[in-house]
Amino acid sequence: MTWGTHCLNCLAGCPYRVFTRDGVVAFEEQGGTIDPVSGGVPDLNPLGCQKGSAWSVQLSSDDRVVHPLRRVGDRGGGRWEQISWDEALAEIADSILDAIEEDGPESVVFEESVEGGLLAQAPFLRLAALLGAVTLDAQGLVNDLPVGQHLTFGTFSCASTVDDTFLADVLLLWHANPAYTSIPYFHFISEARYRGARVVAIAPDYNASAVGSDLFVPVRPGTDAALALAVCKVLLDEDLWDRPFVCTQTDLPLLVRTDTGRYLRARDVERGGDEEVFHLWDEVTGLRAAPRGSLALGELRPVLSGRWSVELADGSTVEVTPVMDLVRANLEGYAPDDAAAVCGVPASTIERLARMVAGKRCKILEGFNGPKYFHGDLMERSMCLLLALTGNWGKPGTGIQGLALGGLDGYFLFSMKTKKGVEETARVLDGIDLAVQAMRERDPDATAEMIGIQLLSLATASGTTAPPVFFNYHHAGYRETWNRQEWSDPTMSRGFDDYLSDAVRRGWWGGVARPGASSPPRVFFSVGTNPLRRARGGRAKLLDNLWPKLDKIVVVDFRMSATALHADIVLPAAMQYERVNVQYPITHMLRLSFSDAATAPKGESRTEWDIFAALARTIAERAAARGMHEYVDARRQTRHVDRIGDDFVLGGDFTDEEDVLDEWVRDSADAGTLPVGSTIETLRRDGSIRFTGLGGFAPGLAVATDVRADEVMTAFRWHVEQNLPFPTLTRRAQFYIDHPWFLDAGEQLPVHKEPPKMGGDWPLALTSGHARWTIHSIGMGNRPLLGTHRGRPLVVLSESDAAARGVVDGDQVRVANDHGAFEAMARVTPRVRPGQIIVYNGFEPHMFLRWEGANEVEPGMVKWLHLVGKYGHLRYLPFGWQPVPADRAVFVDVARAAESPTVAPPGPARRDGR
Amino acid sequence: MFTYSLQGLELTAEPTGVLEVEENETTARSAVYQVLGAFFASGDATSFEKSREGIWTKELTEAALLLPFALAGGEVLLAAGMSEGEYAAEFDHVFGGGRLLAGTGEAREAEVASVRRDYEYFGLAASEEAPHPPDHLATELDFLQYLCFKEAASSSPRLATSFRRAQRDFLSGHVLGRAAEVVAAARAAGAAQPFAGMAGLLGAFVADDHGYVAGLLGG
Ligand code: SF4
Repeated sequence: MTWGTHCLNCLAGCPYRVFTRDGVVAFEEQGGTIDPVSGGVPDLNPLGCQKGSAWSVQLSSDDRVVHPLRRVGDRGGGRWEQISWDEALAEIADSILDAIEEDGPESVVFEESVEGGLLAQAPFLRLAALLGAVTLDAQGLVNDLPVGQHLTFGTFSCASTVDDTFLADVLLLWHANPAYTSIPYFHFISEARYRGARVVAIAPDYNASAVGSDLFVPVRPGTDAALALAVCKVLLDEDLWDRPFVCTQTDLPLLVRTDTGRYLRARDVERGGDEEVFHLWDEVTGLRAAPRGSLALGELRPVLSGRWSVELADGSTVEVTPVMDLVRANLEGYAPDDAAAVCGVPASTIERLARMVAGKRCKILEGFNGPKYFHGDLMERSMCLLLALTGNWGKPGTGIQGLALGGLDGYFLFSMKTKKGVEETARVLDGIDLAVQAMRERDPDATAEMIGIQLLSLATASGTTAPPVFFNYHHAGYRETWNRQEWSDPTMSRGFDDYLSDAVRRGWWGGVARPGASSPPRVFFSVGTNPLRRARGGRAKLLDNLWPKLDKIVVVDFRMSATALHADIVLPAAMQYERVNVQYPITHMLRLSFSDAATAPKGESRTEWDIFAALARTIAERAAARGMHEYVDARRQTRHVDRIGDDFVLGGDFTDEEDVLDEWVRDSADAGTLPVGSTIETLRRDGSIRFTGLGGFAPGLAVATDVRADEVMTAFRWHVEQNLPFPTLTRRAQFYIDHPWFLDAGEQLPVHKEPPKMGGDWPLALTSGHARWTIHSIGMGNRPLLGTHRGRPLVVLSESDAAARGVVDGDQVRVANDHGAFEAMARVTPRVRPGQIIVYNGFEPHMFLRWEGANEVEPGMVKWLHLVGKYGHLRYLPFGWQPVPADRAVFVDVARAAESPTVAPPGPARRDGR
Repeated sequence: MFTYSLQGLELTAEPTGVLEVEENETTARSAVYQVLGAFFASGDATSFEKSREGIWTKELTEAALLLPFALAGGEVLLAAGMSEGEYAAEFDHVFGGGRLLAGTGEAREAEVASVRRDYEYFGLAASEEAPHPPDHLATELDFLQYLCFKEAASSSPRLATSFRRAQRDFLSGHVLGRAAEVVAAARAAGAAQPFAGMAGLLGAFVADDHGYVAGLLGG
């Protein structure tokens, strides 16, 4: 028996016992061995889902890649030849060297991934770093960025451990369907409800999670901001809000100039004053600077309503008013009756909802649906306002549950180490301490979280990561799409081109707008990613625009994905259970979960460490053979390409992934984020270890709380209990964004805006959603899983919309808009709201007729405001602030297709696993 | 001044930092590990000679001078009336030809991999020429000797703590169990002196040292 988990983008790390017989995996079962954390709170067990329980079947599924393959004939032609590893690596190495010689290392582009576990990602990131290549930030590819949370809290996400759900009095499942997407954790919702919590499902469709709720709030797609703001208005009108919390935690007491709409800054009122010192109006003393080092206001008693005249540094006067007054004025437009007309939720339900959450511990379980709307930021900012008014973060059972990365510090330290071992770790940590000390001297009020962000910014400046928006704009054919003003927001006062060039010209994306227009991509790596299925904008956009520019497309995967089908070379990767790996640690479980090699990799498949170490060696050898020894990259760093093979393994210190993982774990233990003494052996014995700290780097520190062994972890306790400021411009939870672009757009405060007509003026809104039966496309080759549903792409639509179009359940329908079209089988159900259709995510394009998948109708619009940079907390951070494509509320129409279904449903699951 | 001397392990890189430190409680612990490591390495002529001349006892006594706790576990007597050959035979008899001093059975491979990783993380490697396998008690005691020295020699509080934690974890993860087996083996074999005394002393010392280090680390 070994421990295994699946390292998928579920980002859970459910420990499974994997049983082998004669070297073959016989079956797996849920571990159920996680100790309870806190008395009276249910434990995490049993953890697991049907995808994980069927994982071993996929080890021998029909779509496995087990040999290196090279395309024969045209790309996508479906003809392949089996080649040796040596041939494959030599061909790839030559392409890389050609590209570097002719166009520089930035012409070698890797997609970052959140699929496949840390040991799938780390190796290619390492090679990319050694080459000086570009890695496209996974966040900009998968668009899971909770932009509204970032705008409000300055931090990636507020994510408590999932058992915190149990402690809520009211749970708002807002645009989330955890019965599908959070199967291992769903029991906490049921258990909370059993304890007496009220569960409210807010979604356009009566989804599987709504079935177990106390109240279903059917909101029209994309109008959630109107709903949330109407709730806020009721809270204020009925005096159900938490004034002390609002005063301490938020920017609502801060003063705004009525002439410019900008905050009143110290620079305004005194010569040489600080640009980032803000003010409030004290009951007794009048104008006062708001403290920056703490959220606590001490003796100050801010007045939340009024207008005052303030003398400026130049002697003139200006009128100021607190943000709270602006919020009240803004909410005037969201009286329940008015909002009901917009969002489709009855006014009485809105009022009921407000009264239900007032004075209660309320948690919003959001998932990633909301942020995927074009105006998802406004939706989230409105939800956060609701939480602010009700005092709902930083206390058990509260907050908005997004996702936060755990603090596996050893992973971050790894790239900074030049040799193995504790002495090198201490050297690196001592160096970081010096940097931290310098930062503290510059800004004595900076919190650990802010320092963590600064450290990450420093690393980014010399790293490979780049937000994909520029790559997509210059090289992947999105420029034309994003300039379709009729698909964007009507309040844009300029064309997208104008905004983008303005943002670049102002240096808001300095150093990360790569590869630029004049740096053509030449070699493209997809390691466990699947852009041809995933890309909003569709497969056709990439095939038409990006593919022709590429000399070499390399896919590393264990299965023949849509992207692999169009690659030049496909390298077979070992699957989980065939190799050692750890899941990306997130704070939901706050555990590091391990997956062991229960069986040998199938065929010639290899681990990513093995593959990229071998590729690095091959590059070095072939570079030396052509007399190429070093080059200078775009960041003016000299790259010694002829010794890249040695550098990759640090002279032999890290020969395999066990070496690497052991180092990560030991270093994390040394840094205090894993139990002292943890090693790979500890993981191997226990399968999963609970983190003991958040670490010293930004992703973990974003949760802003202490980790205690015997306590549920609730995010943001540092802010509420210790009054530590937020890492925002104003150092408070910030609802007022006074950036000129936001003012121009009328989005300085959260407002409702109709979803733009992405795809054209069509009657149905495609909302999509994650499926129950697969994590993205990974499970699409798993026969037992395919047997749990219709096994083919579905267009889920309401009875009334179906009837109006003469469509009956099982018909083949064509979904089309001005961007593209696809066909799939109709599934007619009363659960879907009229006007909405759903296509669950994950089906490969080749499961659709003509290989045209659902992403063909998604233009992949990005919101121009997210190009803002260098404004307080609005600046690029890896996996953080950046423009990401929207794909919810794409407008389409549906009609019966002329052609009959051509995709045969899969047969029943075969027990022999073939 | 005190320095370490390795027999079964070697540095993976040029030594850095100070190579000699003032004697103190930590170097005393290192010195005791050094003596114990040497003793459990073999029952060869040198060992016999040191036994006959009382040098083991003298070395231990000197090493323990600055120990933060008393060296307990019984008296180590001279090998009385034994020939060199009998000494070697008794060593083999008590410790199964040295087999009892290293791991056995199915878990051995994992144990060897585990201690190797420990050595490597702390800057050492099990030497190819070493007379003992990496999981041999003598090698493990050698490692503890090194860890204590590095703690004493470290200028960085962070690093000193890392080396101290490593001592505690290596003791609890590997050496306490192995030492208990050695004590039991010596008892079961009715070991003659000095093996009975040294085994008893080993068992007591590693237990006391583990308690001491754990106490310093706060648990
Ligand atoms: S697929 Fe994800 S959620 Fe399912 S059992 Fe595996 S780790 Fe857990």
